[in-house]
Amino acid sequence: MAVQVIVFGQLTDIMGHNPVTIDSAADTSDLIEQLNQRYPALVNKPYIIAVDKQIVTGHTTLSGNNTVALLPPFAGG
Amino acid sequence: MITERKPKNIFTQGPIAPSFIADSIQKHNTKTNIGGHSIFLGQVRADVIEGNTVKAIEYTAYEEMALEKMHVIREEIFAKYPLVCMHVHHSLGKIAAGEICLFVFTSSAHRKAAIEACNEIVERLKAELPIWGKEVFEDESYQWKENK
Repeated sequence: MAVQVIVFGQLTDIMGHNPVTIDSAADTSDLIEQLNQRYPALVNKPYIIAVDKQIVTGHTTLSGNNTVALLPPFAGG
Repeated sequence: MITERKPKNIFTQGPIAPSFIADSIQKHNTKTNIGGHSIFLGQVRADVIEGNTVKAIEYTAYEEMALEKMHVIREEIFAKYPLVCMHVHHSLGKIAAGEICLFVFTSSAHRKAAIEACNEIVERLKAELPIWGKEVFEDESYQWKENK
């Protein structure tokens, strides 16, 4: 099942502003591995992961048609 | 206690005008159960980094997620403090140094609740809302803002 990936802040310098589609990823770890191969500059960048707007930790299963957002440190205010 | 609040939009494209803030204060003159207001205003600072001066901050956000999270913060703050009302406005887009980019406004019967709630909202929104700022320098180079 395809996964849409969106990024913000400094990560747009690496992945741009448009959503990136990954054809198939079983969980967030699998997804990040694929993204790291495609965008080596992403490796070791600080960010947290949100699946469908909920912040997740660890290996989170992707059930299909998820939107995964990579969120670098927040800087509002 | 007011019930069921719907998620409010906190985002404004461009800077927050001082006249908007004044109008917002004016609008509270009918709420005579209020005895104290607390206001926090964030202003874009012209930091100098290695001889290069910040001329603007360009704000972006994961808007849907930020509004959902702000709704949770709003509910928690109302549950914690006896507030009469709370207003939060955050800029998006390019805000020049010296302009206002954040406006947090709380009101209560007695000062303490308004002051403490206002402070807590500012701290929480800086830590919890998915908002980013690109600090644009006078020579058009940039760096990503980090909250301290």
